[in-house]
Amino acid sequence: MPTFVISGHSFSLERRTIERALAKELPDPLTEHYVVVHGRRFPPKQVLAKVTGLDRADFTTHQARRILKRLGFVAERVGSTTSAPDRGAPDGGPFGGRQAAALAPYAGQWVALGKPTEVLVAADSPEDVLAWLSRHERRASGGMFRVPLSADEAQGAAPT
Amino acid sequence: MKFSFLELPGQPLPLARPVVPVQVEDLQDAPQLCLVDTGSTHNRFGAWLARAVGIDLSEIEPVQIALGGGLTSAFHTRADLTIAGTRYDAPVTFCDPWPYAFHLLGQEGFLRYFRLEVCAAEFWLDLTPE
Repeated sequence: MPTFVISGHSFSLERRTIERALAKELPDPLTEHYVVVHGRRFPPKQVLAKVTGLDRADFTTHQARRILKRLGFVAERVGSTTSAPDRGAPDGGPFGGRQAAALAPYAGQWVALGKPTEVLVAADSPEDVLAWLSRHERRASGGMFRVPLSADEAQGAAPT
Repeated sequence: MKFSFLELPGQPLPLARPVVPVQVEDLQDAPQLCLVDTGSTHNRFGAWLARAVGIDLSEIEPVQIALGGGLTSAFHTRADLTIAGTRYDAPVTFCDPWPYAFHLLGQEGFLRYFRLEVCAAEFWLDLTPE
């Protein structure tokens, strides 16, 4: 198991442990960087603080990114998103498939959208989404709803 | 006010649904995306939303209604809705259980208050307060 020294403390960390620790955690709002844990984007410092118990002020984003990348997590910068409808591709939906692609990982979950292609938070219950918005003083400008579990449900069939 | 359809995952193409963001009471942080359902006589919302905005359903006698192939307890009441910048007092039915992805906007609590133009070919709808 790889060992890392962070803020003078030694930690043995492995990918599986981190994934387990983050399983029920909702990602904080992203600013510049994120890492992907089980298909969800987290701020690197949130991940490292959660698994080490350290304060986020005890290490830098760069340190967190470096450690998590060494453990095999994908680390990226937050990209720019656009809310303009794709007029050139009407068959692909109002956003040319980009909104559907952004929502696909969250089937069955409650989501709050910032921009049309920006999922601010996804959770198992609407109450969790509301609590997250309140805690982080964010507004779901793009609305809140549950992503249907399947195409059948999206087309109007009752969920089973 | 014009609204784009919501684009949901689908095969081979995304599924576009006509939705409208609705602020219920003073829940400004989380407008609910509601499905425009011209076949529904009333607005049907999940009961969790009543709890979230502080509407007390305990004094209301529920009635059983069939919805989407299942039975649910329906609590008829009223709520302040803000749609397309217009706030109004609307009849709303809160339902428990509510297993559906979207709340529904129907005739009495929605269509009666707005003129609705839908262009499914271009994935938009337009609301004008009556």
